[in-house]
Amino acid sequence: MARVLENIGKELLRSNRIPTPDFSAVSIVKEARKAADEIGYPVVIKALVTAGKRGKAGAVKFAENSDEVEEIAKQILSMTVHNFPVERLLVEKKLDISQELYVSIAFDSSKMMPIVIASSAGGIDIEEIARTQPEKIIKYHVNMREGFHLYEAKEIWSDLGLTGSALQKVTPILWRLYQVFEKYDATIIEVNPLAMTSEGEAVAAAILMGIDDDALYRQPDLSDKVEMGSDRAWRPLTALEKEMVAVDASESYRGTARYTEMEGGDIGFLCGGGGGSLLVYDALLRFGGKPANYTEFGGNPTETKVTGLVKGVLSKAGIKGFLMDANITNNTQTDVVAKGMIRAFKDLGIDLKDFPIIVRLAGVNDVEAKRLFSEAGLEYYGDDITMEDAARLIVDKMRRAYPGEAN
Amino acid sequence: MAILVDKNSKIVIQGITGREASMVTKHALAYGTKILAGVTPGKEGQDVEGIPVYDTLKRARQERELNISVVYVPPAFAYDAVMEAIGNGIKLILIITERIPRHDVAKFLLAAREANCTIVGPNSVGIINPEDRVKLGAIGGDNVERCFIPGEVGVISRSGGMTAECSWMVKKAGFGVSTSVSIGGDPLIGSPPKAILSLFEKDPKTKVVVMWGEPGTSYEEDVADFIKEGGFTKPLIAYIAGRFVEQMPEGTVFGHAASIIEGGMGRPSDKMKRLRDAGCHVADNFNDIIQILPQVMPK
Repeated sequence: MARVLENIGKELLRSNRIPTPDFSAVSIVKEARKAADEIGYPVVIKALVTAGKRGKAGAVKFAENSDEVEEIAKQILSMTVHNFPVERLLVEKKLDISQELYVSIAFDSSKMMPIVIASSAGGIDIEEIARTQPEKIIKYHVNMREGFHLYEAKEIWSDLGLTGSALQKVTPILWRLYQVFEKYDATIIEVNPLAMTSEGEAVAAAILMGIDDDALYRQPDLSDKVEMGSDRAWRPLTALEKEMVAVDASESYRGTARYTEMEGGDIGFLCGGGGGSLLVYDALLRFGGKPANYTEFGGNPTETKVTGLVKGVLSKAGIKGFLMDANITNNTQTDVVAKGMIRAFKDLGIDLKDFPIIVRLAGVNDVEAKRLFSEAGLEYYGDDITMEDAARLIVDKMRRAYPGEAN
Repeated sequence: MAILVDKNSKIVIQGITGREASMVTKHALAYGTKILAGVTPGKEGQDVEGIPVYDTLKRARQERELNISVVYVPPAFAYDAVMEAIGNGIKLILIITERIPRHDVAKFLLAAREANCTIVGPNSVGIINPEDRVKLGAIGGDNVERCFIPGEVGVISRSGGMTAECSWMVKKAGFGVSTSVSIGGDPLIGSPPKAILSLFEKDPKTKVVVMWGEPGTSYEEDVADFIKEGGFTKPLIAYIAGRFVEQMPEGTVFGHAASIIEGGMGRPSDKMKRLRDAGCHVADNFNDIIQILPQVMPK
C-alpha cells in the first residue's frame, strides 16, 4: 500500500465532486501566511506527513490571524511527527461544524470484500467509537459485481438516524467515495470527520488514503503522487535503507530483498523468506540477541545482489556478528547465495576468525553451498539444525566472542 | 485420502510457457504428477516438457477433461485468466502469481464463491499431497522428499517458504504430511486457514494439523471461533510468528503484505491467546512443534 498525502487525496476527491475545505500546501512560513490570508480566517494548519493521528501529536492547530499562522507554522515545521520530520504544511479553511460523521472504505480480510464503515459519531478514532458507542456504527459489505448503489448509501445514513437535508447531502458523498475507491485502486479511504457545516454542507474535512502499489501500472496519473513503500517504514527511509532499495532494484528481474534498519543491535541478519524472517527475528530477541536490522530475501537472487545485501547489512555501525538463516528453499539456489555472501566478506576484508558468523541455509544445490562455506571457513549448517537453533547458536557465539558485554 | 488434490486431479497450467512455469512443470512431472495441458494465448501447437499448449482453456477442455488449474499468468492478466478458469467450470484454482491488484482479487474471489469454485492463493507457493505424488506449484522444488513425506499431518501456512519448513519439522518429529497447503501471504485470499481446516476436518487421513500464522488479518482469530463452534475437532498445533512487530510502531508491514497490525488488530499475542482459549496447542517456540506433535497425535 502506498499512502497518499492529504493535499493529493483531497485534490482527487474534489475532482470527483466531493467537497473539501479550501486548502493550500506550503513549505515555508511566509507561504503559510500568504495562503491563510487568501483562504480567510480562521484556518487549520496541519503537518503534511503520511503518519496518522496527527492531532494527538499536536500537529494540527487553529489560527485566527496572520501572526498566529506564522507562529504555528514555524512551530509545526520544526516538529517531527511520529518519526517523520515535517517539511510541508496544509493550510485549510476552518469549518464551522454542526455535526461530525465518520466513513471509511477498505477491504475486509474475513469476508474478502470491500467494507464500508460509517458512523454518526465522527471526529474521534473509529476504535474509540467502536468501544464507546458501537450502536452508532454500521458495517456494510459491498458486492463488487453489483457495485455500490446510491440507495445503499442512503440506507446506511438513514439507519444511522440521518434525515432531511443532511441525508440528502451525505448520500451522494458516500456513493462518490466508493466510486473513488474503485477508480483509483484504493486500499483505504477514511474521512474523519465528514463534517456537516452550520451552512448545511457535507465536507470531507480530514482524510486518509492509500493506493494499491500493485495497481500503479494502470494508474499512470497517480504514480508520482503516492509515497511508495510508505507502509513498510514507520519513519522516512534511512540512507542505508535507500542504498539497499537500489541494490534490490539494480537486478529487479531476479530476487527480491527488503532491508529495515533497526535501532542499535550488533548482529547483522539476513533471512530467507517473509515468514522465516519473522520467526528468526523473534528467536534472536528471545535468546537475548540484539539484531541490528530486519532483512528478508527470496526469489533466487543473483550473486551480485546477495553480495550487495550482505555488504549493506555489515556496513551499519556496531555490527559485530552475522547470521544467515533461511527456510529450506523451494527455488533459491543456495550455492549462488553462498558465493555472493563469501565475496562480500572477502571484499570487506573481514577476518572470519574474529567475527562470529552462523549460516543455516538448506535447499537447492546445498551440497555445493556446504562445500563453499566450509572452504571459506564459515560455520555452516544445512537441514541438520532448525532455524531457531541457528538463532541460538549466533547468540551463544556472540557471548563467547565478546565476554564482558551484556548480550 | 488428502485434501484438494489427489490421483484423480486433472491439471492444467495457465501461463505454462513462462520461465518459472516451465521449470515447475518439469519438477512436477519428475515427481510423478500428471499434468494434462497448458494454456498460453498464441502458442497453441507448442509443448512444454511434452505437455500440449492450447490458446484457450476452452480449446484445452475440448481435448482433455480438466478440473484443476494452476495460474502462473502475470499480474496484469491474472484477473482474466482466473475468470476464464471459473467460466470453464474449473473447480479448484491455485494462483501462484504475486502482486495482483487487490480490486481484481476481490472481484474474482467473489465470482469463484458464486460459482462454487475453490481458490487457493494468490501468492501461493503450491499444494502437495505426497502419498499420491501430486504437487502443484514450486512447492518442494526438485528435492521433494527432503521436506514432504506421506503421513497424517495437515499443514497450512501463510508463508510459502515456511510451508516447506513446517512440513520438514513434521518429518523431523517422525511424521509425514497428508497435504501441505501454502495459502498465500496476502490480505485477500481464496482459502484462509479456516476454509482449509474445514477440509482437513472431513479428511479421514489427516489426524493433526500444523498451522503457521503471522501478524495482521483475523485469519487466526477466525480459526479460534471456528474451533469453538465445533467446526474443527482434531488437534491443531499453531505457531504465530512476528511477536516483535507488536513492539514496533503500528501500521508497518514486516514480511508479507498482510502482516501488519492496524487499529490494535492482528496482534500475535491476541491470536495466541484466542487460539489457546479455543483449545489449540500453541507453540511458544517453533522448535516446540517437534515435541508437541507426538504428544497430540492420536494413537
